[in-house]
Amino acid sequence: MNSLRIARTVLRARPAAIKAPLLQRRGYAEAVSDKIKLSLVLPHQSIYKSQDVVQVNIPAESGDMGVLANHVPSIEQLKPGLVEIIEETAGSKQYFLSGGFAIVQPNSELSINAVEGFPLEDFSIDAVRSQISEAQKIAGGSGSEQDIAEAKIELEVLEGLQAVLK
Amino acid sequence: MAPAWKAAGLTYNKYLEVAARVVRRSLKDDIRLAAERRGQTELRFAKWTSGKQGDLTNVADANAVAMAEAGTPKTS
Repeated sequence: MNSLRIARTVLRARPAAIKAPLLQRRGYAEAVSDKIKLSLVLPHQSIYKSQDVVQVNIPAESGDMGVLANHVPSIEQLKPGLVEIIEETAGSKQYFLSGGFAIVQPNSELSINAVEGFPLEDFSIDAVRSQISEAQKIAGGSGSEQDIAEAKIELEVLEGLQAVLK
Repeated sequence: MAPAWKAAGLTYNKYLEVAARVVRRSLKDDIRLAAERRGQTELRFAKWTSGKQGDLTNVADANAVAMAEAGTPKTS
């Protein structure tokens, strides 16, 4: 009996539902953009200025990670390495950064700060190779502790560069 | 685990400087010349005591001395 009564009220209620404005039916998921706003900034240049991109792969100190829209807010220290930016139409772009920080903000914004960053075609593999042999000499030599530590940092960066330039 | 450069007394700032320098040096010649100018520092400072200016010291040199002191002491 009860169910019958409910069915009748539903029938009666239907015309009102159709008249309701369409806007109200819009879900939360449709309203949110699936892009992340990227700012890739160096002290002397802004490579990206709050531009919409699909995904950014970053070499964080805690491991390589990909950042999409609506990522959990976080701050990551970056190793010297390759940042890959996947744009919606222009395909993917790669920059080698010398180390810095990536900050994921709550409203789908990603800020990457680095000291130096260049696209891969700006690097010369010969310059990298000659620097590797030079740095290896210093790292294995009898210089001061600081000189050896510097040479080891250089080697780490250069080996990363050599691996991505091949 | 703390990185090796930290044990040698280098600061994070110095680590970034070294990494940036080596990236600049790996560039193709035409871009490299313009980029390497960014790595130069000419900042100097002097300590003033009782109204008298002390010696002008290059900040980069002073940092190098400070980092050498912060490194692990030599066992000799």
